[in-house]
Amino acid sequence: MTGSESDSVIRVRGLVTRFGTQTVHNGLDLDVRRGEILAIVGGSGTGKSVLLRTILGLKSPDGGSVELLGATLEALDEEARRPVLKRIGVLFQDGALFSARTVAQNARLPFLEHTDVDHRLVTQLIRVKLSMVGLPQSAGAKLPSELSGGMRKRAGLARAIALDPDILFLDEPTAGLDPIGAANFDSLIRDLQQALALTVVMVTHDVDTLCAIADRVAVLVDSKIIVGTLDEIRAHPHPWIQAYFDGPRGRAARTGLAVSAGRAVSEGI
Amino acid sequence: MADTTQLPNARAAWAKTQFDGSATRVALGGRWTLANSAILEAAMQSLDTQGAELLHIDLAAVDAIDTCGAWILHRQLRRWQERGAQIELVSTSDAQASLLERMGVADEERVPLLRQSGGALAELAIRAGMAATEVAGEAKALIAFVGATTVCALRAIRRPGRVRFVSTVHHIERIGIDALPILGLLAFLIGVVLAFQGADQLRAYGAEVFTINLLGVSILREIGVLITAIMVAGRTGSAFAAEIGTMKVNQEVDAMRTIGLDPMETLVLPRLLALAITLPLLVFFANTMALAGGAVMVMLGLDLSFEQFVEQLENAVQLNTLAVGLIKAPVFAVLIGIVSCYEGLKVSGSAESVGLHTTQSVVKSIFLVIVFDAAFSIFFSRIGL
Repeated sequence: MTGSESDSVIRVRGLVTRFGTQTVHNGLDLDVRRGEILAIVGGSGTGKSVLLRTILGLKSPDGGSVELLGATLEALDEEARRPVLKRIGVLFQDGALFSARTVAQNARLPFLEHTDVDHRLVTQLIRVKLSMVGLPQSAGAKLPSELSGGMRKRAGLARAIALDPDILFLDEPTAGLDPIGAANFDSLIRDLQQALALTVVMVTHDVDTLCAIADRVAVLVDSKIIVGTLDEIRAHPHPWIQAYFDGPRGRAARTGLAVSAGRAVSEGI
Repeated sequence: MADTTQLPNARAAWAKTQFDGSATRVALGGRWTLANSAILEAAMQSLDTQGAELLHIDLAAVDAIDTCGAWILHRQLRRWQERGAQIELVSTSDAQASLLERMGVADEERVPLLRQSGGALAELAIRAGMAATEVAGEAKALIAFVGATTVCALRAIRRPGRVRFVSTVHHIERIGIDALPILGLLAFLIGVVLAFQGADQLRAYGAEVFTINLLGVSILREIGVLITAIMVAGRTGSAFAAEIGTMKVNQEVDAMRTIGLDPMETLVLPRLLALAITLPLLVFFANTMALAGGAVMVMLGLDLSFEQFVEQLENAVQLNTLAVGLIKAPVFAVLIGIVSCYEGLKVSGSAESVGLHTTQSVVKSIFLVIVFDAAFSIFFSRIGL
């Protein structure tokens, strides 16, 4: 942790993204603070996943700059990127596990690539990670194709947190999970974030996830981004945001919160 | 009262014991992280608690702890507990305590993380057995598919209105017309090579002119149809398998079924029909191009005129020779079509499976084409053609 990083682990300035003649991001600014859970939401085609890919250095910006942990990935070569990449973990939508390797081998890969930790200790740490993400140890010997979608996500998460990263990126972590599985996954992420002092950046469609675990919400509208706490965003007059939170799903998620708040009040009396 | 253990590189991470009366204090400090794993393991190894029964573990000086540090500490605490020592954690933050607590769950199961194997020999036997049953199952499934296709084709004959003519014509264009340039060039060059090699060998007997006999018979009977079938298997068979496979992955095939469309009728039959119509035409085209290549080579290399070439060719081949080659074409067409559609429909789940079955379709159809060609050769020689 150096001084230059200060409290912003990710700093996006004036980002421009274009596909052909279509401008997806136009002068977008975003700061992600250390230790927070930031959820990025937005309608289809507003460039949520592209923003994530740009921050991760998988796509170079068409304008503006992106700093990840104080480094500009775009300006670095493969070798210079490694120390930065070692400090981030990414969970892709369907886990993106390497299909020819078992779950344990998938989780071992970051250790082989970035550390020279003793072989036995690595095996033990993989056991720890598997249990942390709620997978049975028997899943370690299985190939990704032998797992259900939810288990593949957990296995992907085990690989993402293998090296105890500073920042964890999640691309639609609850997509494709049933409501109970999604709620479990939400609390898993919250637990891990607290235990490992993670900064979490996630792209999500799920209003429930948003209400349950996000510290701040970033909404992509009009090629820009609006960031704030859940309450601030909810009070924002932008029509898309209003429609998002006032739609039937948004209302249901909010009612859930109101009910739990109401319970707290009645207990107070 | 005194430090008993001082560690290498103590500044990075350290652990030391102090004895004060009834309890032994184990003080930990520094960065308990993955980067210091070797130091931490060594520290824990060399820590001497002198068999104390009550241990106070003090984490006050720990600057940072991650999963690795927590696990190493947890492992050591467990060893001490197994030895009968009592453990008390002092000055732990909430975050440290919750991280340490999480380590406990990893102890419960001791299932191996690697796949169990019963030794190399057993593994070999198991895999050979699995391969054998797979081949048997595959053969059965393919025969069943041939049956299903036949039923579908018979139904189409009874009700020709249900055959998708637009789709069939579209496939004829793709299989046939689009393949002409590459197939023509290929066949032409093969004709050139055959003529060149034949003339070279026959010159020793002064029988160069029989190069034309060699060309005529080998191209019309075997080479033309084989080259065409192999090229179509590679070019069209793989495309069929990949197309149908992708539709399988996208659940398009399931969607068809729910709408009431029969995939056999909509996907397989038009492709088979198109192949059966197009392949014989392509074979004829390839024959012509190969003979043209041979003719060019013969005229240049042997100083024969085109008239002489045609005259010698007329002596060498009859209509039978051409028929023997052409009659194989529809059979090969059906083979390629059935195998590639079968492999396409067998795709399940992932994109990986599409690649696998596409490869399989090419390998299997070329294999079957050559096996059937050999069978045809034996058959024709028996009946004296």
